[in-house]
Amino acid sequence: MRKALEGSQAIAQAVALCRPQVIAAYPITPQTHIVENIAKLVADGKLHCEYVSVESEFSAASVVLGAALAGSRTYTASASQGILLMAEVLFNIAGSRVPIVMTCANRAVSAPLSIWNDQQDSMAVRDAGWIQLYCADNQEAVDTTIQAYRIAERTELPVMVCVDGFSLTHTLEPIDIPPQQQVDAFLPPYQFARTLDPRKPISMGTLVSPDHYPEARHSHHQALLNAADEIVAADADWAAISGRSSGGLLQVEGDPDAEIAILTLGSVHGTLADARELHPELGPVKLIRLRSFRPFPTAALLQACAGLTDLVVLERALSPGGGGIVGVEVKAALLGLPNPPRVHNFAVGLGGRDVPLDIYPRLLQTVRSQPPGPFALFDVDLGRLPAEDR
Amino acid sequence: MTELTRGAYALPGTSLTFKTGTWRVQKPVHHYRPAPCRNACPAGEDAQAYLGLLAQGKPQKAWEAIVEANPLPAITGRVCHHPCESACNRGQYDEAIGIHGVERFLGDEAIRLGWAYPVTPPAAEARQVAVVGAGPAGLSAAYHLLRRGYRVSLFDSLPVAGGTCRMAIPPYRLPRNVLEAEIERLLATGIDFRAQQQLGRDVSLQELQQDFGAVFLGPGTQKNREWSIDGAVPRDLHVGLDLLKEWMTVGSMIQASSVAIIGGGNTAVDMARVLKRCGVPTVHIITHQSLPGDGEDAEDAMRAIPREISQAQEEGVIIHPHRGILRLILRGERVVGVEMAHMKKLPRPDGSVQRVPFEGTETVLHVDQVIPAIGQQVDDSGMADLLQRQPLFSPDASCALPGHPGIYVGGDARPGTGSVSAAVGDGRRAAAAIDRYLRGLEPALDNLPEAVPFQQINLNYFEHAPRIDAPILPPAQRSGQEEIETSLEANQAGHEAGRCLSCGNCLACDNCWTLCPDSAVLKTTERAADGSHYVFDYDYCKGCGLCAHECPCGYIAMEDEG
Amino acid sequence: MNANDQPTIPITDLRHRQPRFQGIESGHRACLGCGEALAARLVTEAAGPDVMIANATGCLEIFTTPWPESAWRLPWMHSLFENTGAIAAGMEAALKAQGKSTKVLAFGGDGGTFDIGFQSLSGMLERGHNVLYVCYDNEAYMNTGIQRSSSTPHAAITTTSPAGRERMGKRHLKKDILTIIASHHIPYAASASVAYPCDIRQKVRRAMEIEGPTFLLIHSPCPLGWGHDGALSIEVARLAVKTGLFPLIELERGELIGAMPLRDPRPVTEYLRLQQRFAHLFKDDPRARQELEHLQALAERNIEYYGLKGTQDDPRDSEGADTVRRGGQRWA
Repeated sequence: MRKALEGSQAIAQAVALCRPQVIAAYPITPQTHIVENIAKLVADGKLHCEYVSVESEFSAASVVLGAALAGSRTYTASASQGILLMAEVLFNIAGSRVPIVMTCANRAVSAPLSIWNDQQDSMAVRDAGWIQLYCADNQEAVDTTIQAYRIAERTELPVMVCVDGFSLTHTLEPIDIPPQQQVDAFLPPYQFARTLDPRKPISMGTLVSPDHYPEARHSHHQALLNAADEIVAADADWAAISGRSSGGLLQVEGDPDAEIAILTLGSVHGTLADARELHPELGPVKLIRLRSFRPFPTAALLQACAGLTDLVVLERALSPGGGGIVGVEVKAALLGLPNPPRVHNFAVGLGGRDVPLDIYPRLLQTVRSQPPGPFALFDVDLGRLPAEDR
Repeated sequence: MTELTRGAYALPGTSLTFKTGTWRVQKPVHHYRPAPCRNACPAGEDAQAYLGLLAQGKPQKAWEAIVEANPLPAITGRVCHHPCESACNRGQYDEAIGIHGVERFLGDEAIRLGWAYPVTPPAAEARQVAVVGAGPAGLSAAYHLLRRGYRVSLFDSLPVAGGTCRMAIPPYRLPRNVLEAEIERLLATGIDFRAQQQLGRDVSLQELQQDFGAVFLGPGTQKNREWSIDGAVPRDLHVGLDLLKEWMTVGSMIQASSVAIIGGGNTAVDMARVLKRCGVPTVHIITHQSLPGDGEDAEDAMRAIPREISQAQEEGVIIHPHRGILRLILRGERVVGVEMAHMKKLPRPDGSVQRVPFEGTETVLHVDQVIPAIGQQVDDSGMADLLQRQPLFSPDASCALPGHPGIYVGGDARPGTGSVSAAVGDGRRAAAAIDRYLRGLEPALDNLPEAVPFQQINLNYFEHAPRIDAPILPPAQRSGQEEIETSLEANQAGHEAGRCLSCGNCLACDNCWTLCPDSAVLKTTERAADGSHYVFDYDYCKGCGLCAHECPCGYIAMEDEG
Repeated sequence: MNANDQPTIPITDLRHRQPRFQGIESGHRACLGCGEALAARLVTEAAGPDVMIANATGCLEIFTTPWPESAWRLPWMHSLFENTGAIAAGMEAALKAQGKSTKVLAFGGDGGTFDIGFQSLSGMLERGHNVLYVCYDNEAYMNTGIQRSSSTPHAAITTTSPAGRERMGKRHLKKDILTIIASHHIPYAASASVAYPCDIRQKVRRAMEIEGPTFLLIHSPCPLGWGHDGALSIEVARLAVKTGLFPLIELERGELIGAMPLRDPRPVTEYLRLQQRFAHLFKDDPRARQELEHLQALAERNIEYYGLKGTQDDPRDSEGADTVRRGGQRWA
């Protein structure tokens, strides 16, 4: 049934439909509304679970780790500083191959302090070994959250569902909240092969010597690569039940013969889609929306980029002293093509700076008039910086 | 290589594949050592062993442990001077275990309940051994020989067995019924007792040597030593031991109003106490030795058992230590007094010892009887060739008489403490030596290793607990023949047994099992080869030594590995 | 009796017939005489098989689980250094949601409890999770090679608090963790020592019965870190208690409800002189004298504050507790 819901609220309801038994809650803008909404559901008896108000984010991640090990489906959410604080635990969860789902309400990372949206937080932990899926809108946030549980529990890899803070979390949209039976049909009860049980007392978290460590790492890496199939399958199966797809590993929109494409992650895709509709005169442009960043969907990307002359990678984070993050990975992947497109790599909207509709024509202008330059912030105003800091 | 599990989880208990025992440089072993009580016992009893059995609620097994060594516990449990208690390590913690009282209790229980001596009748064709003298040495030798499978004939000049125990230990120390019961039960194990057979008169040593494979002599010291003061003796001289024997057999006693007994041994003290009981108003003991425990060296102390001395004093006997008699004061041929002086035994320059009276210390004691109780010597009737005019025999440590193969001597007849328990010990050792002799084996001595010193007991694990002693009749109630000391109750004996520190032997306290960080001490209800109920798992024991350090009994020692 | 014969019972058989629950098996790689290994063995023995363990990074975790080996016979997870309280809280929440009776135990050293793990412990206590948290207190970061923690006693030497011209070991005092724990008003908190194994067992069983957060601080000597022979671990631990430096107390909802009385308090020097980490206090140095007096004063303050001076006739006091009797019976 379609209702106008704030993104946080919708995510909260999606979580509740997945029947988690243990939820760890710690407030941080902009995910706080999620945990608040869940608290209300619990208080009203609409969600029966152990709601644990932890005292920090690394405890939040630890509580869900402990609960998942003890045989319960879990949930937590965080953002920005919290993601970094729990970073150690995120690596620990993934390396232990424990199925956990969390929401990352993407937010810029201090310093400087910012509460507004970019994707620096989730990008900073891309090496933790989690599956990372980026949602374009709140309906996708709902559907992806539900799919995430199945993906996690089948692949024994934790899943981070990335949802742009404020842009999505605090925005009202008409959302189709699926009925409980649909979710129950899709998601079996939580089953984890290595549940801690006094009747089968295994020891997890052992010390692994150089004799065995590379094998463990290979195994983890391979599992993530293999997870791509499960991500596709989950989306297809959910689409069959709900009628809605969230794009699988990535989604391509626009004229199949277009030679220019713009690649994004998250909600900025919506801005570009609206802008493209307003500027048919600027010619055919494909919009590539990357949903899965980990595992990186190399094969799908190569397919999407075949025949392109120019690809704009428009990302919401950077690696200082290096450049773009998504851009570098895309460029590396494109080496697999005989004639790779030229890649124009820009970051935009860092720290929540508004991405206006006119970014579309300006991007196309840049692409058509210049060869690709070094990575740059597309919307930076250098005039506001002292000369030596430009 | 092992296949990697997902997330690198490990299966339970798989650490057992890693044998940490390879880390060791030293390893714990169970190291049985005798407790000091065992080494101190003249009869060779293992008090720690029987206290342990009693503490486990096995009184009969405890008694059987006693009679492994000593077949006369009801007797020794009354008359022994219990050096075990003096040696008891617990004495350095709070109070020594009342081993003597426990032995008495068990001895009495055996009589009361008819516990059988662990003796099987010897084969009809077993070799025969003769034992001369049915005192404690002879009874013990006979018993131990019987246990070793020999047929034993026990000879005594008197109509009944018992020797000194019967003849010279008053009933208020050793009641007649106890004596009779113990001896009767012992003889009933199959000892062929031939009463009224005096060596020399009724049977000769040569006959015994012919008819028996070996001979044990426990003749005691039946002859009084010569005594005079400068050659003078009273006309009506009574020797202490003879008087005592006469009182015990016939019941009569000399009349006197004031008596001086010369001597510091058990006979002197017993004599003094008997005289008091017979109504003699004033009884003195004059001895050149000191009272025990006076801070003087032990060599100088009176030979009598200390508690007997203190009981005598309680009963009014006056003791004059470090005194000697210079002369008898006679009126005609009757004694009316003695002149006493301070006297000590002091070493001469050549190392020998003489008695030195101190001029200026003379006093006169008015007495009408002087009774010497200065010791006995062997009556060599029928054994003159063996004794060669010596006061005592000089056998070796195994009781064999050098130069006379097949002849063994023990008890009062050889130099020693002159105690019943020492005699019992002699009998046991002699039986072992006779057994080896008859089997054609070289003699061997039972060499006990050093006892566990007090420092190796871990006292942190023992609480103080008071010693329980059975009450003694107060002096006012000590009239005639009634036994002065009483017996512990069963629970009291159990309490004393429970206080035993179990020096050198496992207490089964579970400390090692509880405290091993590596779970390398395992517990078992069966007995391991070393006799304990704990087994070291050397596959995993790292040799840290915690168990040895925390063993309350000093039973675990650390040995160098390899 | 023969000391060195091989036993007549097959050991592998015997190992599995022991009359106690074996939560930690042999073959672990703890140092010789490790107090923590002993304490953990005693705790798991008393707690029984229906438990789930969250274990912090540290000696206990390292020496029990070098993959593929594990000494544990209980379901066990080691996550990180600082989050044991939270992992345990999560386990407990899950078991509660599933309606299971399995009790959650959290194990950590002093580093992982007093310092880096303090926050998650506090959070777990505050939220009232039904978890027994056991801190194995060997008074330093031992696993990384003997560095000072807030639990290290005053004046003790560690690699990060050495003695020298300018310093006499650790400057600061030992953190009073129990008072902090007490102010959470949890149902039960207690200190214990490996020198009194029956006392440990009793306290573990007590905590196991309680629905709600409980905390146990177990003094566990580290022969390597404290500088004494492994064989002396129990003796050292006992002296820590008998001097008053490590009082054995029990708190309910923040109130002191019990303490092991000291029948005959020993001077702190008896305890200190057994350990190399205090060797500098026995040199001819006026600062050393001052530190000894300071430590003695701290001990006396404990005795006063917790009312530890006993009478002669308490069988549960520092002399009477854990005395033995024949056949494995103990006073406790």
